[in-house]
Amino acid sequence: MSAKKSDFRQRIAAGMADRRVIRAVHQATFHKVETVADALSLLRNHQELRDLAARIKQHTLENLPGYLEQFISACERNGTRVHFAADAAAAREIICEIARVSGSKLAVKSKSMTTEEIHLNEALEAAGVRTVETDLGEFIVQIDHDRPSHIVSPIIHKDRQQIARALVRETGCDYTEDPTELTAVARKHLRDVFRHCDLGITGVNFAVAETGTICICTNEGNGRMTTTRPRVHVALLGIEKLVPRLRDLPVFLKLLARSSTGQPLTVYTTLITGPKRPADPDGPEQVHVVLLDNGRSEILGGPFIEVLRCIRCGACLNACPVFRNIGGHAYGSVYPGPIGSLVTPLLSGIVAHAELPRASSLCGACRDACPVKLDIPGLLVKLRARTCNRQPLTKRMGMTIWKWIMRSPTMFGCVQRSMRWFLRPDRDGWISNGPGPAGEWTKVRDLPPPPKKSFHRRWREEWADED
Amino acid sequence: MKTNDGPKTGVTNDDARRDAVDAFVNSLKRRRHDAPAKTMLPEDIEIVTRLVERDEDPAALFTQTATTVGVNVHSATTADWLDVVAKLLQEHQAKDAAIPPVGDGFFEAERVEQLKQRLVADGVAAKSETDDETLFSVDMAITGVAAAIAETGTIACEARPIIARGSSLIPPVHIAVVAAEQLLPDLCDYFNVLSKRSELPADASLITGPSKTADIEGVLVTGVHGPATVHVVLVRES
Repeated sequence: MSAKKSDFRQRIAAGMADRRVIRAVHQATFHKVETVADALSLLRNHQELRDLAARIKQHTLENLPGYLEQFISACERNGTRVHFAADAAAAREIICEIARVSGSKLAVKSKSMTTEEIHLNEALEAAGVRTVETDLGEFIVQIDHDRPSHIVSPIIHKDRQQIARALVRETGCDYTEDPTELTAVARKHLRDVFRHCDLGITGVNFAVAETGTICICTNEGNGRMTTTRPRVHVALLGIEKLVPRLRDLPVFLKLLARSSTGQPLTVYTTLITGPKRPADPDGPEQVHVVLLDNGRSEILGGPFIEVLRCIRCGACLNACPVFRNIGGHAYGSVYPGPIGSLVTPLLSGIVAHAELPRASSLCGACRDACPVKLDIPGLLVKLRARTCNRQPLTKRMGMTIWKWIMRSPTMFGCVQRSMRWFLRPDRDGWISNGPGPAGEWTKVRDLPPPPKKSFHRRWREEWADED
Repeated sequence: MKTNDGPKTGVTNDDARRDAVDAFVNSLKRRRHDAPAKTMLPEDIEIVTRLVERDEDPAALFTQTATTVGVNVHSATTADWLDVVAKLLQEHQAKDAAIPPVGDGFFEAERVEQLKQRLVADGVAAKSETDDETLFSVDMAITGVAAAIAETGTIACEARPIIARGSSLIPPVHIAVVAAEQLLPDLCDYFNVLSKRSELPADASLITGPSKTADIEGVLVTGVHGPATVHVVLVRES
């Protein structure tokens, strides 16, 4: 526990120390917040649209078994094969098996957080399937043996020099720092991969219960390429991604890109309903949907059900002052930022991630930015409550005493008066070196000295008899 | 089909696969997740969602929104659209272009034939093959669309027999020929149209601008995997 905690503290310190990265993250997130605000102001009624999106998702989650049944039978009608994976290991096993049975040797991946969650790439490589990320950011992450630091902009922490060096090493191209030229190098390299790949792996942004349609949103076209070029398409679908009807999609599509990057829609919004029809010249012959539970059904029945409304737009990361100042890697989890601090402990166990819900100032910027109206600060507090009996004994005892003092006006007054003796200001008039446990707190903060008279006393002396 | 492979995952055994899926849904039901919902499914969602009314002029709006997302919109009439397309090919100095043998929407078979003749006369090779060799080598593709959306500046390309998905995706330049009558005011309208179909296409792609990324230091670059340049020739009755 304490070792874990210090790991987390170390990652935060390391994140904050890298001024170059923090500057880049500040610049990118502030820019996004501005663009997103402009885009949302063009909506006729942003608040009502958020409310609608939240209600549709909440309704679907409360009735999930019925909608899953509907989705599964629609898929069977369309010729899409649906699999079930209880956890990450089962999902990896199913996807590797699909690769093996279809004789696939080269897999292309479209950007997908859910496949990151199950650590799919290593498993496919071990099964002898070369696996290539095709989103530009994720491709750079892969060839530079790095980790993504943002759920929408994975290389927000990298500068063009690092990207250039990675591409030179991987492709043998001439060194250039021009983003257009660097993108062209990646395009050329990945074209060859797209031409020869036999397996395509994607996540899913939304799945429509009534029609068995899956919706994939990308800007670069990696989603379209991955569902057009290979013979076999595997979509990994978190069970929370369902919406009831086709006509519900505009509600979410109008919010997703606007909240994420400020675009009216992502450049490519792809709606897949089954494998290619016999007369279609291209498209996959097989479409597999792997339904992933991996802890979601536990959340479904409990007080954190609304967390599953999340559509992974990344708006809460961009809005978060903590994320901006420590960067995505400090969180040490696949999903960083405010939503990650909720999702990670709920999916992968609160014991190992007890510090994450505390990595928030609860300022509420994430709640205001969320297109599906998740009360992230409220849920973080609820989650903190779950970890309180895991705190060290001294801290728990301290909190009990604290509670006792705070509930008794006499004790409170007594302690308040005694504070004046314990807390002595320095020459500058501030307390920067508190006694005992307060010392840790005042290391990074200054405390004003307690006033000579308490509020209670002033009230009695100055105003009380005016009534 | 081999039956003994992967009995655990049921990848090759359809019955085992379906059983695993059903068992999961049933376990969810047993856990009382299907208790009567507290949240009703909203019925009248368009009141809030719709941004563009049906009585607005979709052509003017489309020209504005598509231009904003980086599409080059060219105005044409049924009398001069061939000239407008031919001029675009000239500007790109295209040697060859992929054109599907039958078109979509306005770009119907007869007009495809007219365009091909025009291109041949201009010395451009018109290729109707949709094999990899063609799609990965041609200078551009010319297609019709299933619909276009004024609200967002979007063109909708749907997979159809003989029309390759790859033609609006793989070549570096995409010219879409759109009739003004194909314009829908709002994104909601496209999904209303889709909802009424008896069968959905295997792939329907809403394309809103050229392929884009801002992954490298937030600098906007076009043409990552899809076309770097998208032209829409918007054809009105002359």
